[in-house]
Parts: sequence; structure tokens; C-alpha cells
Amino acid sequence: MQPTKEQSLWMYENIVVSRRFEEAIEKVYLEGKTPAFNMANGPIPGEMHLSNGQEPVAAGVCAHLGADDIVTATHRPHHQAIAKGVDLKKMAAEIFGKSTGLSGGRGGHMHLIDPAVNFSCSGIIGESCGPACGAALSRKMQNKPGVAVAFLGEGAANQGAFHEALNLAGVWNLPVVFVIEDNSWAISVPKSEATAVARNDVRATGYGMPGHYIPGNDPYAIFDVAGQAIARAREGKGPTLIEVETYRLAGHFMGDAEQYRPEGEKEALFAKDPIPKMRDRLISDGYAAKDIDKIEKRAEARVAEAITFARDSAYAPQTDALTAVFV
Amino acid sequence: MVVDVKVPQDLWQDDGMEAVITNWLASDGASVRTGALIAEIMVEKSQFEVTAPADGILTIAKQIDDIVRKGDVIGQIT
Amino acid sequence: MLDQPTNERRLTIARAMAEAMQQEMQRDPTVFVMGEDIAGFGGIFGNTRGLFEEFGKERVRDTPISETGFISAAVGAAMDGMRPVVELMFVDFFGVCFDAIYNQMAKNTYFSGGNASVPMVLMTSTGGGYSDAGQHSQCLYGTFAHLPGMKVVSPSNAYDAKGLMTAAIRDDNPVVYMFHKQLQGMGWLGTEAGATVNTPEEDYTVEIGKAKVVRAGTDVTLVGLAMGVHNALKAADKLAEDGVSAEVVDLVSLVPLDRETVINSVAKTGRLIVVDEDYHSFGVSGEIIASVTEHDISKLKASPARVTFPDVPIPYARHMEQFCLPNPDKIVDAYRKM
Repeated sequence: MQPTKEQSLWMYENIVVSRRFEEAIEKVYLEGKTPAFNMANGPIPGEMHLSNGQEPVAAGVCAHLGADDIVTATHRPHHQAIAKGVDLKKMAAEIFGKSTGLSGGRGGHMHLIDPAVNFSCSGIIGESCGPACGAALSRKMQNKPGVAVAFLGEGAANQGAFHEALNLAGVWNLPVVFVIEDNSWAISVPKSEATAVARNDVRATGYGMPGHYIPGNDPYAIFDVAGQAIARAREGKGPTLIEVETYRLAGHFMGDAEQYRPEGEKEALFAKDPIPKMRDRLISDGYAAKDIDKIEKRAEARVAEAITFARDSAYAPQTDALTAVFV
Repeated sequence: MVVDVKVPQDLWQDDGMEAVITNWLASDGASVRTGALIAEIMVEKSQFEVTAPADGILTIAKQIDDIVRKGDVIGQIT
Repeated sequence: MLDQPTNERRLTIARAMAEAMQQEMQRDPTVFVMGEDIAGFGGIFGNTRGLFEEFGKERVRDTPISETGFISAAVGAAMDGMRPVVELMFVDFFGVCFDAIYNQMAKNTYFSGGNASVPMVLMTSTGGGYSDAGQHSQCLYGTFAHLPGMKVVSPSNAYDAKGLMTAAIRDDNPVVYMFHKQLQGMGWLGTEAGATVNTPEEDYTVEIGKAKVVRAGTDVTLVGLAMGVHNALKAADKLAEDGVSAEVVDLVSLVPLDRETVINSVAKTGRLIVVDEDYHSFGVSGEIIASVTEHDISKLKASPARVTFPDVPIPYARHMEQFCLPNPDKIVDAYRKM
């Protein structure tokens, strides 16, 4: 499956918006945290898990999804939220903890929920899987269209919730696609030391569904395989497991000194940055450089607008902490 | 004899970086031994250890949360 | 303040925990450590620093993200002659593996009539105050203390941290060792300085099940655990400025709970305020108050009060979270309202 021109440019813009967003968030995150890195300080306190390098997975998969399809994601959700169409301003405002954020500042960066585009995420490893099955089940029961996609990390593929969800999807023939972002690292533990098999696609057989492994963090390859899996699900043919090799260019969380990464590994990954690679591909496919430049400028403008909106928004009254529990 | 407790020049790589004292592991006025761990310093996200360069009584010059650079005197041992 | 011998060797709680494990591992070859990022990384919160370098990967094991798998494995290993120390990285993660903890670790001794023991330590991080939001900031003291069969401890300082860990490892019963993130000594999190105290180099134990009066007083009893102790001590300082003498009780353990120390203190002061960072309802604060009032309500000169976290998920935005958390000013206010 090859992307159309619109889809190619959509993917590229999403990837660039994601990256610029993460860069902007990183800058703001570090405000108030130098030289003393105290996580509690600054306009964006708490933990921060950035998706730099992993953008192709979100773009290649979500290119096939509409607002009515469901995505569940993880503690590293920004690129997926962006690709799913979550309002960038409201997302930024939520990360800043402002009243104009998706939950008025109650959830924060690991708990972004946007019912308008059926996006949610959880900070607990593996917990994206079950709800995706449930959403898929709901659509089946209501005879409504829709596919659910659960994103997870390769570390989460060793969590019980993953295995239960896959079996459930298989035995109930649910329209759900599980997409594992394999960035090789579960904080400091490499995949080779934690997972009994080299690639998780082989686990699909154990759950009665096809499994695919996509090397190289290539948005076009991801577009192809994800497109086929999502089409399968839409046709009522059931679930699929996909594992994608991707790169975590940032630390696990901001503040992670990453001393566990072998020397030279990060430099090698930066050399494989998917953005310049995709730009080169678009140019060799015949797209004009100036059109690509326009996309990049628009991406920067969208991010700048979102960050400004977030900064300029007010905080909710502190008593809002006590509301939105029982509605 | 007064011995300065300095932030070692080889404690971290980037000479220009500022650090923060995160913990004093010996009290002001305590007696310390050479090599004992007496303070923890953080540069960006990494923690480093400072050990006592001599035996004696420690006087603390820089407090927790104070910003220091390589070579700064953070205490003295007499 | 805290009743410690004046000396020159201060440790952070993180270092104290690691030292206790190190000394027990040197002493007893059946002790081993399992968890996520506890080997080369030394633990996300620094509590296994140096262990991997000294003891190697057989006894200091990084695990996959499989809490049910490795915590129930710890139960099995403990019943088979080993003494595992296993980490649940954030107490909030208990949801994915609680059966292994409350249904197996905590009950197998009973189910065997005492013939089998489960000598394991489950160490886990607790506490908020730095905007880690609703799934990474909880204390859940009540959840663990409420269920029978497991001891529960939580140190407020490094001296207790080391002694409690040593005691927990030597205890033939399962012990849940809860360490508060803001007391650890992690530079990137900000630390309550009062938790870093003198800690003896030799091995020693702190009795599990015994509370400590960490500040003597006559007008009101402030009861706290972990971070709550430091809030209570600061509140006591503020109250002292107005001539009010507050006694501060550090519970140290939730299970067994030293009700006697609290009851004796309230018998002396007549006033009780419980500081509990866990959710307000159905937890530790209610248990302390019930224990005191059902013992002898005539000793109370005023209704007991509690400073707790409200019954809502922990909000992310800093001002909201700080609005909800216990702090010294709220404790002082509670006294004034008495």
C-alpha cells in the first residue's frame, strides 16, 4: 500500500509538527530546572517522556484512521495524540496544567484524554491494550464502524495485560491492531535482556492473529503494513500485531542521564533521524523543495501558536482539583 | 592546617557547567576521615560524589541548593 | 529534633537502603534483589546503588516489565528457602500485580497454618508533591495496611531506613517497605533535608511495629508517617512560636501498628491530629483516630482532627496538587480549630 500525495504530505507534516512540538516542550520543560534539575520546578513540572525519533510510527498508522477510530497510547503519547488529531493547543495547555487544557490541568502529559477524537493514554505499562479491545468490542456490538489501535512499547509486551488483551482480541475476533514501538529500551533495560524472543511479531501466532515486524523506522513501510492491518480489521477479519523498529532519540524521561546506553549508540541513531530521511525521499519522489519548506514553516507556526496559547492561558482555580470526579 | 574541600576538576566533563549541592553527608562541625563520602553534587541530571580530602573537622561553606562550579570551595577541613 | 547520636556519617535514605541490602547480602547468600532498573542503573530512586557491581547479575536481577511474573516468582522463591527483596517501582503499579501480593505473599503463611513462611521484602516508592500526577504520586498506605498478612513499614529518615530494611530482610514474614520519593535524597526530585541523618556503618535493626516519639510535647499529639513526620515537625516548630508544645509521633510501621504509643501520647496531651498523605477516607487517619477514641474517649479534650489528601485522583497541575497535599500550615490550622 502506497500513500497518495496527500497522505505523504500529511505524514510529513505530522512528523515535523511532532518533532517541533517535542523540541518546544523540552525547552519549556527545562525552564526553572537549571542548574538544579528538580523535577517539581518550572512551568511544566513532573515527568516528561518525549517521542523524538518515534514519529513515523504514529504517522504511518494514523494516516489510516479517522476521528471515529480509537487510539489508546502510553506514557510517551505526544506524537500519537498529534497524529490522531488531538487539538494541539488544548494538548499543550494540558501539559502546562492550564484551565484550557484537555482536562483543565488534572491529567497532565501522561493522561491525555480527548473524546472528540477518541484518544486516550495511560501511564501504566500495558494498560493501553485492554481498553482498545473494549472499544473495538463496543463498535462490534453496536454495529458501528471503527477500528481501535493500541500503541505500546516493546517493554510492555512482557506485561500480563498485553497477553490477555491479545488473546481476547483473537478469540473474539475484534477489529483492533496492536502496534509495538520497539525502541529497544525499557528505561535502562534493553530488549535483549527482557524479552524471551528477538522479535514480538512471533508472539502473534500464540494469539491467533497475523504478526509483522517492520525494521528501519520507515514511515512508508509502516504506512503499508498498518494500512493492510487496519483494512483487515475494517473488513471484519480480526486483529493484527505489528512491531516497529523505532528510535528513542531522547532519554526515557527528561532527567535520564542515559549512562546505560552504549557509547556511540545515540550518535548513530541521530544519523538515522527519520525527518531528513523522509524529506530526501519526498524530494526524490518529485515534490518541490519549496513546498516541503512551506510544510515545515507551517508546522513551526502551529507549534508556536500552541505553546503561546498554553503560556497565555490561565490556571484553573485550585478548587478544581476537587471536581470532575463524579460527573 | 586548613584543607579546602573543592569541587574536583575532573568530577564531570564540561568545565563550564554549573552544579548544585544536593546533599551534605557530614554535618557542619563533624569529624571526617580522608576518603569519606561527604557531599553529593548534581550536574544537570547526574549525581556525583565528593569525598573528604583530609582527616579533621568539617566546616561547611556552601549549603544544599547552592550553585557551584569546578574548583569552588564548598567547605574546609581543619 | 530527631533523636539521633551526633556523629559524622550522614546518609540519604537511598544510600541507607542500599547499604542495608549490601550488608545483608554479604551476610546471607539467600538474599537477592529483583526489579526493574535495579541492576546497572542502581534503581530509579537510588536504593540499589552499588549492589550490581558487588554481587553481579545472578543476585541483582533486572526484570522485564512483568510485575505479576516476578513478584509471584519472589513468593515462590521465598517459600523455597531464598530471601528475595523485590521492587515494585511505584506503589501505584500495584494494580497490575496485586494478587501475588495480597492473596499469595500475605496469605500463604496462614494457609499453611504457619508451616510455610514467605520471608520476602517488597520495596516500593510512594508519595507525590512534584507533579507526577494520578498514577505516579500515591501513598496507598491504607490499601496495604488494611489487608491481613503483610507487615508494612515506611521510614522518615535514613537511620530508620537502614534499620528497617535490615529488620525486614531478617524477618521471616513478608514486609512491604514503602519509601517516600521526597525523602530519598535524589537530587532530581528535591529532598526533605531532615531525612538525611547520621547512619551507623555497622549493621543494626530498627524494630518493626514500634512507633517513636520524635519530639516531646504536652499540648497536642501530631501523628505522622514518612513525609508526614517532617510536616508535623515543621508544624510543631510553628506552634512553638506561639507557645504551643506539640508532641510528634513517627508511626514507623503501619503493620503491626503501635497503637499504644499513640494512645499514651494522647493520654498526655489530650489532643490528636493525624497527618496522612493518603486519601482521606477509609485509611490510616481513620484507623488512628478510631484506635484512640475506642480506647478511652475521656482522655480527649477536643475532637480529633486529620490532615489528609482529599478523596480525588491526584491532580497534575502544581497548584492543584499543592492545594490537596498535607503541609505544616494545614496542621497548624487544624490545631487552631480545636
